[in-house]
Amino acid sequence: MAPDGEVTLSKDFIKGLWKENPVIRQILGMCPTLAVTNSATNGLAMGLATTFVVISASTIVSIIKSLVPRQVRIATYVIIIASFVTIADLFLAAKFPSISKALGPYVPLIVVNCIILGRAEAFASKHPVHRAFIDALGMGVGFSWALILLGSIRELLGFGSIFGFKIMGAWFTPWIIMILPGGAFITLGIIIGLINQFTGSRTVDTSCH
Amino acid sequence: MDKRIIKMIVVLTATAVLSGGILALVYKKAEPLIEANRLRELKKAIFLVLPEAKDYKTVEKKGFNIYIGIDENGSQVGYAFVATGPGFQGKIKMMVGLANDMKTLTGMKVLEQVETPGLGNRISEDTFQGQFKGLSTEPEITYVKNKKPEKPNEIQAITGATISSKSVVAIVNKELKKVVKALKEEEVEKTYGP
Amino acid sequence: MPEIKEKKDDLLIVSSSPHIHTVENIPRIMHNVILSLFPPMGVSVYFFGMNALLLMLTSTVACILTEYVFQKGRKKEITIGDGSAIITGLLLALTLPPAFPLWAAALGGIVAMSLGKHIFGGLGYNIFNPALLGRAFLQAAFPVMITTWSAPLTGSIPVDGVTTATPLSLMKFEGQMTPYLNLLFGNVSGSLGETSAIAILIGAIYLLYKGYINLRQPFSYIGAIFVSGGIFWLISPDKYPDPIFHILSGGVMLGAFFMVTDYVTTPTTPLGQWIFGIAAGFLVVIIRLFGGLPEGVMYSILLMNAITPLLNRYTRPKIFGEVKVG
Repeated sequence: MAPDGEVTLSKDFIKGLWKENPVIRQILGMCPTLAVTNSATNGLAMGLATTFVVISASTIVSIIKSLVPRQVRIATYVIIIASFVTIADLFLAAKFPSISKALGPYVPLIVVNCIILGRAEAFASKHPVHRAFIDALGMGVGFSWALILLGSIRELLGFGSIFGFKIMGAWFTPWIIMILPGGAFITLGIIIGLINQFTGSRTVDTSCH
Repeated sequence: MDKRIIKMIVVLTATAVLSGGILALVYKKAEPLIEANRLRELKKAIFLVLPEAKDYKTVEKKGFNIYIGIDENGSQVGYAFVATGPGFQGKIKMMVGLANDMKTLTGMKVLEQVETPGLGNRISEDTFQGQFKGLSTEPEITYVKNKKPEKPNEIQAITGATISSKSVVAIVNKELKKVVKALKEEEVEKTYGP
Repeated sequence: MPEIKEKKDDLLIVSSSPHIHTVENIPRIMHNVILSLFPPMGVSVYFFGMNALLLMLTSTVACILTEYVFQKGRKKEITIGDGSAIITGLLLALTLPPAFPLWAAALGGIVAMSLGKHIFGGLGYNIFNPALLGRAFLQAAFPVMITTWSAPLTGSIPVDGVTTATPLSLMKFEGQMTPYLNLLFGNVSGSLGETSAIAILIGAIYLLYKGYINLRQPFSYIGAIFVSGGIFWLISPDKYPDPIFHILSGGVMLGAFFMVTDYVTTPTTPLGQWIFGIAAGFLVVIIRLFGGLPEGVMYSILLMNAITPLLNRYTRPKIFGEVKVG
């Protein structure tokens, strides 16, 4: 039997992937989820950028949690998050200009993604660094796979490709609506609906500890 | 003062100063790269609309940045400029190439647009952009629908995206007029000026 | 008297008829509505040929199958016999261009029934007109296909339909008018069921005679289009089309008699029905004259569908002795 510590750590990681998945379970971070997922690549890029920010912010918050007075904790968290978001934004603009252009204003908008502040406030500020890191990693990966799934479905139906590779033949007429905002709502709604239908767990406890 | 308040001020200030410092460092590293990316994009677009150009120089005329294309012998091959205006859903930004005679376009490339995917955004496709190559600008550029263009100043609008096609033509016409006017005034100055 | 006051509080407040949940009447009404759709269906087959028939068949079958799958999957009573799925399928097909691909019509039917009806819980619970929702999906998904119109090929089978513009797009983009007589009989290009005003009127008169629809809704809708279209025409007759053209072209007739009169997605109170009709009619003219699209019937009705619950709530007739609460 594994020691208790490992069990907790793997639990911290796993819960973000499915049981408390930020997108399909907690319905958090809807702005980037709906806005940038018109292709799998954009979903992946947004997922990675968010994962970077949530991990960095959670780790720092966990490290300094005993130093920060309760009254100014949110302000401090926001400064930390905003700094990491700016770093991610500048990094993308410098190294991956095309992705930066495709994601547009949604990279700076990671600041207001409630997943990040949510993890900082609900988890990182109450747990040791290694657990905060693993929790943030799980949430980031959970967020990413949901965005990649959404992006893949929309790209497949809207362009006939996934990650830019043509999947559908010449016979296929792209469904333009899938790469428009409407397609994001329809696809996400159907995904969540189907998952709820088949797992039968419509009321999962998503309250943050 | 209350010790708690002092602690709050110290923590917040320290966080802000640290973040600011780190961001300044990152920005200093990233800025030249971002600027280089921008210039590379610009250069690519200019050479696309002025195919014979191997180099370019920027001149500013009446608030316009006009890029003068130069071939390998150092002689001028034409002008390029950025034309911006309203499309169907938002701003359309294009690079337009103009031959030395100022009566023929040497190319057009859409730089930025947010037209409807699958319809209006086909203005970025080569089949549409390509029509502007060799297009006569006198009289004004016009568009035809559902048939092949017959006159040298005509292009064929995209089926189902008349408004976007119309916008592109209108923007090019409008900005072209301004640029040609600015260039001609310059010529007058050159000829008769002191 | 305290007893009466107590009793009054116990009373269940009901709105005036028609009531949505009188299940035993649904099949009979629906079958009559289907019957009333025969004239426009016939005319569309006459003008647009076999493909019109196939389109109606495809979308209807798709609607019925989707309803079956949903009700089976959710272990509910199968109600495909009540005819409402058939009506959705037929109305959807009647709003499609004649050369529309069959597979896309089937997709439209699936979307209409799943996202338009069963996701809300089935007949009586849907907010939006399912047929129009399906059509809105198709419009957003295949903007080129749904605006590729073929000319009416009277009687013959369309081989590779000559593409033309509809009277509305001719008006909007070319400033060209279409003769009223053509608009009345329907030998113009357009969606299957919307071209012939006379055929729609025949079906509508049957429904009015049977008492299944009232005149309030079509009258307020068409009237509002006539009046607001007329105002713009009077302001600038060269720039804007006359009001008669407005009501005879596009989907106004079909919408007025078969969609604005839908029991489920339009208000149940008379005042609400007036407001619905007038507001939707006004929207049609605004969209047609100032919007990006040449036609506004679909969006006018869908937009008003969205505020129907609100209209029902605020126009509920006061029951005698009712005390306003809250």
